[in-house]
Amino acid sequence: MAVRREKAERLADEELMPLVGGKDPEAFEVLYDRHGGAAYSLAYRIVGDRAAAEEVTQEAFISVWRSGARFDAARGSVRSWLLSVVRNRAIDFLRSKAGKAPKLDFDDESALEQRPAAERTEEEALRRETASELRGALGKLPGEQSKVIELAYFGGFSHSEIAEILSLPMGTVKGRMRLGLEKIRGELAEGLA
Amino acid sequence: MNDIDHNRWGEDLAAYMLGALEPGEADEFGRHLEGCRRCQAEVRWFEPALGTLAESAERREPPRQLREALLAEVRADARRSASAEPRRATRSPFSRWLLKPAVGFAVLALLIAGAVGYEVGSDGDGAGGPSTLERNIDGIGVKMIQEGGGGTLQLSNLPQLPADKVLEAWVEREGEVEAVPALLVPDRNGQAETTIADMSGVSTVMVTEEPQGGSEEPTSPAIVTMSVPQ
Repeated sequence: MAVRREKAERLADEELMPLVGGKDPEAFEVLYDRHGGAAYSLAYRIVGDRAAAEEVTQEAFISVWRSGARFDAARGSVRSWLLSVVRNRAIDFLRSKAGKAPKLDFDDESALEQRPAAERTEEEALRRETASELRGALGKLPGEQSKVIELAYFGGFSHSEIAEILSLPMGTVKGRMRLGLEKIRGELAEGLA
Repeated sequence: MNDIDHNRWGEDLAAYMLGALEPGEADEFGRHLEGCRRCQAEVRWFEPALGTLAESAERREPPRQLREALLAEVRADARRSASAEPRRATRSPFSRWLLKPAVGFAVLALLIAGAVGYEVGSDGDGAGGPSTLERNIDGIGVKMIQEGGGGTLQLSNLPQLPADKVLEAWVEREGEVEAVPALLVPDRNGQAETTIADMSGVSTVMVTEEPQGGSEEPTSPAIVTMSVPQ
């Protein structure tokens, strides 16, 4: 049975999810109102376009509506789960737009020239790397670490693609990813201490 | 597994969490993760860092129409789910609605429309082609186009709605009132349309003003009613 909006607003996210799984529109509405802004912002950050961000956010929330029961509270918060759904949808969107995960060939500059502006080139990824978007712990990382994390998380590039883009050994890319995440996690732990 | 063997997985863990392993590598790591408590603990420890990345995007306000479209789809889906249940909870006997003061006017208007019928006319050729009914109701242009078993309801010259309101269409079919899944959101020119997938047995179409996201049943007087010839 559907709950009234006022009641749904008093529930924690983890309590809303079973209701969403039971097809309760009021619970879903509250979930969207709580996390829609972050979801849309993340989608926009990845796809770089308002219409595409809307499409991605809508698809992500509809998938949550239709598969709410898949949320596993033991594996993290509703918000982090939901944002991971958005992130995956956004990366899928980029990949479908590019046809397939691009294999960048930096010896062939003409191939890069032919790529649409919004495609996942290093130039595009780095252009978006503005100070306002690198807030908090991420902004404190050394550039070499934030760069590989940005390309992976927001650009959807694999470690081997990043290695190719940055002309680095794959082991170095993986190492920088790990160091970067460790520093972000350390900053968070210090903030909580 | 000794530390040297395990270091190999440790090197992949951050890339796995960032979604940066190749598909085959990610599958392999996923299988390892299922049975490795050490990696599971590391994943749990790193998860807040991933959350920080997701939250680091510059905050943007999602467009209002995104919320409206999402809620409309979700409510329609919920209605379909409910109507698939044996008790058909969202479909009330039409006569029962007359007892509800909030919707009595709407239903009365709907009944009257059914009695006076369509007034402007039809251009149907009677051979299965599209037929069009048009009316002007209190200054609102109403056009109902029927084709191939379905229909399109087009409204024009609509007044601007309050930000928290939408228009919702309803059909009367065999004595029961059903909501049309897609809500009507007027554009800047005061025009809106919605599609009625199945017009079979529909005797009347009605439009009411409803809260954002739509309602399970009409909650305000109808601003538009139009009878549909059988």
